[in-house]
Amino acid sequence: MFDWTDEQKMLRDAVRQFIEKELVPIHEELEHGDTPPYDLLRKLFATFGMDAMARDGFKKRIEAEKAAAEAKARGEEPPAKKEREGGMDPSFTMIPIIELCRYSPGIVTAMGVSMGLTAAAISSRGTIAQKERWVPELLTMEKVGAWAITEPNSGSDAFGSMKSTARRDGDEYVLNGSKTFITNGPYADTIVFICKLDEGNPPAERKILSFVLDRGMPGLEQSKPLRKMGMHSSPTGELFLSDVRVGRDRLIGETEDVPSGGREGAKDTFSMERSGVAAMALGIISQCLELSVEYAKNRVQFGQPIGEFQLIQEKLAKMEVHRLNVQNLVFRYIEMGQAGVGLTLAEASAMKLYSARAAMEVALEAVQLFGGNGYMSEFKVEQLCRDAKVLQIYAGTDEIQITHIAKDLLRR
Amino acid sequence: MNIVVCVKQIPDPAEPGALDPNTKTLKRDGKLILDESDSYGVEMALQLADAAGGGEVTLVSMAPNSETSGLRTALAMGAAKSVLVSDPALSGTDALGTAKILAAAIKRVEGADLILTATESSDGYTGTVPEQIAELLGLPSITFAKSIAIDGGTVKVQRQTEAGYDECEAPLPAVVSVTAGVVEPRYPSFKGIMAAKSKPVDEVDCAALGIDPGSVGWAGGGQEIVTVEAAPAREAGEVVEDDGTGFEKIVAFLDNLKVI
Repeated sequence: MFDWTDEQKMLRDAVRQFIEKELVPIHEELEHGDTPPYDLLRKLFATFGMDAMARDGFKKRIEAEKAAAEAKARGEEPPAKKEREGGMDPSFTMIPIIELCRYSPGIVTAMGVSMGLTAAAISSRGTIAQKERWVPELLTMEKVGAWAITEPNSGSDAFGSMKSTARRDGDEYVLNGSKTFITNGPYADTIVFICKLDEGNPPAERKILSFVLDRGMPGLEQSKPLRKMGMHSSPTGELFLSDVRVGRDRLIGETEDVPSGGREGAKDTFSMERSGVAAMALGIISQCLELSVEYAKNRVQFGQPIGEFQLIQEKLAKMEVHRLNVQNLVFRYIEMGQAGVGLTLAEASAMKLYSARAAMEVALEAVQLFGGNGYMSEFKVEQLCRDAKVLQIYAGTDEIQITHIAKDLLRR
Repeated sequence: MNIVVCVKQIPDPAEPGALDPNTKTLKRDGKLILDESDSYGVEMALQLADAAGGGEVTLVSMAPNSETSGLRTALAMGAAKSVLVSDPALSGTDALGTAKILAAAIKRVEGADLILTATESSDGYTGTVPEQIAELLGLPSITFAKSIAIDGGTVKVQRQTEAGYDECEAPLPAVVSVTAGVVEPRYPSFKGIMAAKSKPVDEVDCAALGIDPGSVGWAGGGQEIVTVEAAPAREAGEVVEDDGTGFEKIVAFLDNLKVI
């Protein structure tokens, strides 16, 4: 794959038109006015039938799971999994991400955390009843999801330093703790809360459990949006849990003995998240490059367009190298998805590491190329520059990606 | 309710267009897109079929080089199938020739209750093809529809006029041209985009339509493009210094134009 197909271009153009009509007029409110992105996302989903597709896809998966569970209960072999019937092309997810990130990467963050991380956490480990209860409305964005792992003192060392706890109390659990930097935290309807089971044993030996919470449960407090450097179209907040009582029906998997103690589930989620960051980076890079080329052609200094100066040309050339490399990573991911081949942890981490650094470098160079105008929000590159920085921090910092790449290579 | 929509595939207006120096017509050898003015007819047809509780929307188009890119967009919006007329002999076809081809192509679609068109294409602007099609098919025609309703065997149309609209009706089948901007064309859904590539496109040439190639194209054209001139540059406007009586000069200027 070296270019988008006609079909993918049709999709891209349609999404682009939607963005120009629906997002661009409220861009200022989204980025500087605390307007949450959820209504826009719901409109995007409804317009392109993504909600109906998500519901249909979920229904098929859950019916297959039920059939398998019933067969197992009868002591029979579960029915063979159906071959994917021309399943969802990964480009149908990647293209909207790329296009939205040309304007508001924060919107993609809000969307990804809700229908990606939160729904995936329940889908991968939950019981059939739990999936039916929470997943469909997360996949359609009717409900906003949050995935709460980070704490004030646990970031990259998420499990080691985790303080949030679940204590057994009869048939119930009592949850306590505080979470921070939680995307969608202020508005979330459905929250996956990750904590340690406190059985009086040392913290390092405690099991990791995940619970599903609903907005408004007694003892659950959701903060207002936090002020941050970028990604203003993605509301980020804190969660405070004070003796929140939950039944076993809210414990993901309804068992304390999740295979691999829950850690693997969270790591699967990390891996899925990383490939999406590359698509986000491609959107930021493409937009910065296009704006920069246009500016270099039209901005006249010393009697000539600044694009005539070799120092400016070098910036454009570096941006194009990054754009090609990130695009190739995205194309590779799409082709692998079409072939049903997954990324290794090293590949997903390498893809994220390179793409995030490239987006940051390109956006910074774009600001520099625009000079004083680049520092002004009117010219858009400063926002993309602020937004790009978090790609090197969330979904695993650059430093964590490096260790994951190396560990994955060394353990083979 | 089976509806035929005539759609044109045109060079992308966002790209710089070019004239063929020999034929003095627009070059159409690249990728073509759905003429935006036709997207309103497609949307109107989809809404009418939906309101009728079923039926198919079929596209009819004429384009060089078997081009289907624009058709795929309309198929992704929800049209069921398409007839495409593509034949090298069609190069240079004028408005009447186009109407002959489209009328013949429409006849291939069985059971069409209604034929919709745009009022004019965005690259030709003759605005005569819809009525020519109606005449060739022997069907009633209503132009400039701003809304269309089906009532049994009758089509009821609000026909846009400069002052407002006329209420017109005609027995079905009929040819109705749809004014641009009267409905909001839907975006193709993701599912629609995926389905579009497998929807049938019945590609035919002049022979299949029973049309003598000599009666269309340059050979059958009743027109000749003698020369193409650049549009004259706009003349500089009159600059009036405002000495306190500027408003009087504005009033006099507008009065002279008879706009006040």
